[in-house]
Amino acid sequence: MLSIKNLHASVEDKQILNGLNLEIKAGEVHAIMGPNGSGKSTLSQVLAGNEAFEVTEGEVTFNGDNLLDLATEERAREGIFLAFQYPVEIPGISNLQFLRTSVNAMRKHNGIEDMNAAEFMKLAKEVSKQVDLDPAFLKRGVNEGFSGGEKKRNEIMQALLLKPKLAILDETDSGLDIDALKVVADGVNALRAPDRAILMITHYQRLLDHIVPDYVHVLSEGKIIKSGGPELALELEAKGYGWLGIDDQAAANHG
Amino acid sequence: MKSASTLSNAFLQPAGQALPAALLTLRFDRASALADLILPTRKTENWKYSAKHLKLTDDMASTLPMDASAEAGDYNSGYTVVMVNGVVRPDASNYPTLEGLSIQRFGDLSEDDASVAADMLSKSISDQPAKSGSVNMSQLNGARFEDGLLIQLQPGTVLDQPLFLIHHTTASHSGSAYPCILVAAGNNSQLTVVEDYVSSGDCSVMVNTTTEFSVGDGANVTSVRLNTEGQSVQHMGTTGVRQQRSSRFESHSVGFGSTLRRHDLHVRLEGEGAECKLNGVVVTQGTQHYDNHTTIEHVAANCNSEETYRNIAADKSHAVFNGRIHIHQDAQKSKANMSNKNLLLTSGAEIDTKPELEIYADDVLCAHGATIGQLDKQSIFYLVSRGLSPRDAKVLLTMAFINELVEQIPVEQVRDTAHTGLKQFFDQAFKEV
Repeated sequence: MLSIKNLHASVEDKQILNGLNLEIKAGEVHAIMGPNGSGKSTLSQVLAGNEAFEVTEGEVTFNGDNLLDLATEERAREGIFLAFQYPVEIPGISNLQFLRTSVNAMRKHNGIEDMNAAEFMKLAKEVSKQVDLDPAFLKRGVNEGFSGGEKKRNEIMQALLLKPKLAILDETDSGLDIDALKVVADGVNALRAPDRAILMITHYQRLLDHIVPDYVHVLSEGKIIKSGGPELALELEAKGYGWLGIDDQAAANHG
Repeated sequence: MKSASTLSNAFLQPAGQALPAALLTLRFDRASALADLILPTRKTENWKYSAKHLKLTDDMASTLPMDASAEAGDYNSGYTVVMVNGVVRPDASNYPTLEGLSIQRFGDLSEDDASVAADMLSKSISDQPAKSGSVNMSQLNGARFEDGLLIQLQPGTVLDQPLFLIHHTTASHSGSAYPCILVAAGNNSQLTVVEDYVSSGDCSVMVNTTTEFSVGDGANVTSVRLNTEGQSVQHMGTTGVRQQRSSRFESHSVGFGSTLRRHDLHVRLEGEGAECKLNGVVVTQGTQHYDNHTTIEHVAANCNSEETYRNIAADKSHAVFNGRIHIHQDAQKSKANMSNKNLLLTSGAEIDTKPELEIYADDVLCAHGATIGQLDKQSIFYLVSRGLSPRDAKVLLTMAFINELVEQIPVEQVRDTAHTGLKQFFDQAFKEV
């Protein structure tokens, strides 16, 4: 489904990704771990198409198409979804209006009629329950005044509504207490499907207790330096990053 | 350097509609006071940003035809009074019939009512001469009105639906119009007035308006002002409000720009416990110019004021906000809150904002804030990453900036008209490339 070859990317003239390779097939769940500054978030932003990041070398194909040729919104409509590490607050637009506009943009792309307000309200209420968000949140401004956990659940709710082919979860576990973590994990597990891939980016192993990945990769200085099964995450938890020759602190300073 | 020009005498000649003696006298006095005064220049403090847009040529001095055909606008179902070029048109209007409410045109006023009207006008806030000795453009209305409305609510009278005042200006040739509205709301009365300014034709015209509200003890008055006049209309409007004890006044305004729009809103909280809420939305595009000047005077103690204005400027347009809060010495326990946020959609647009606080009492709670910003790139990315086109994302974010104020407008028809106008604004401001 997703094939990344020799990807180099920079932001504000600072080189972050230095030849990253990754293959993800439909139905698989991959976890990318790594210390601060290793390039985890840059990878997610580049895949989603944030124009602040510049690809300087390499290629990315998504279901055979050159992903890097597609505009941000085209990537979304083709089925790439990024759950943001820091979801943006937009007072003045209700969550409901935002979600319906988004769902209808996808439907239009797929030649399906718009969902009317009543139909959408019914669907949104069902999905909000799935991530344990009070439907009252639908009427509030997008992420406006939401707690960290509520924002993350709102991201997972969007993924459940938009039914992407590839869901990229950028530090979706950060800032969550254990109950919220479990709700989010249940949501992500509900996303697992034979025709859908999930790429989880995380600093800690604890999310992987609840969402068991098929593959774990370690990212350091913009490259994947080690890949393995779920047991690799446990090993990292036990030993830290040091045994792989990564200086966590130095990596953090690196950016 | 060009010397400052005086107001042409042609602008001081009314057309001669029949009016009661008290109003004729007042009008004559106003015209005399204005003779030979200079027009505001960029050195006139409260016209600093707008003076260069003021273009009064002699062909604009004549009163626009008072018998032009009248249209009732889109508010047929409600109570409406139609004014065409400043003259009331009973034939196109639908007056409410309610005991305790009287709506009279100036020409029909009895001597007693004419002196009520003249008294309101002589105390009018719009009659304050400019400190700089130049013409206060709002004074011109007093020198030129041909007609007007005196709306009186007896104590305790409640009008259950909004009263729409449709001000239609025909710009099929040059000229000017001077609508004048006086609202006297007795104690504990309640009323919502919608002033809707529209125009047809595209010749250069000036619309110069006066609206005065006298809000009695415990009365509750809401003023909604919508301005969708055409590009060629220079609009100078003044609204004055005097509030008595425990009264409430709300103002909701939505304005679209033109070659020059100016609205001065001046509220005096004269009775203890009075409160006002002033909301305003302005959008400008092309080379349009819009200038809102507001003043809130806390004269009595224990009054609250809350003011929220938002400007959005696209292309090479220019929006101005000047908000003054004046707390008098005896106005202890005043609470005043003013917020003005501004959104620039292009690098060529300009917004100037100036909050002014003058506080002479020592026990008050005042807050003010003004910001100018652009659409947030991260917010655009967030929306676009959910499949919205960049254009739709920008429209949604721009709408989000003012949505709260539009939704607070308490009259559905006005919200609908505002949304229609905003959609046209977005279509222009965010053309698909």
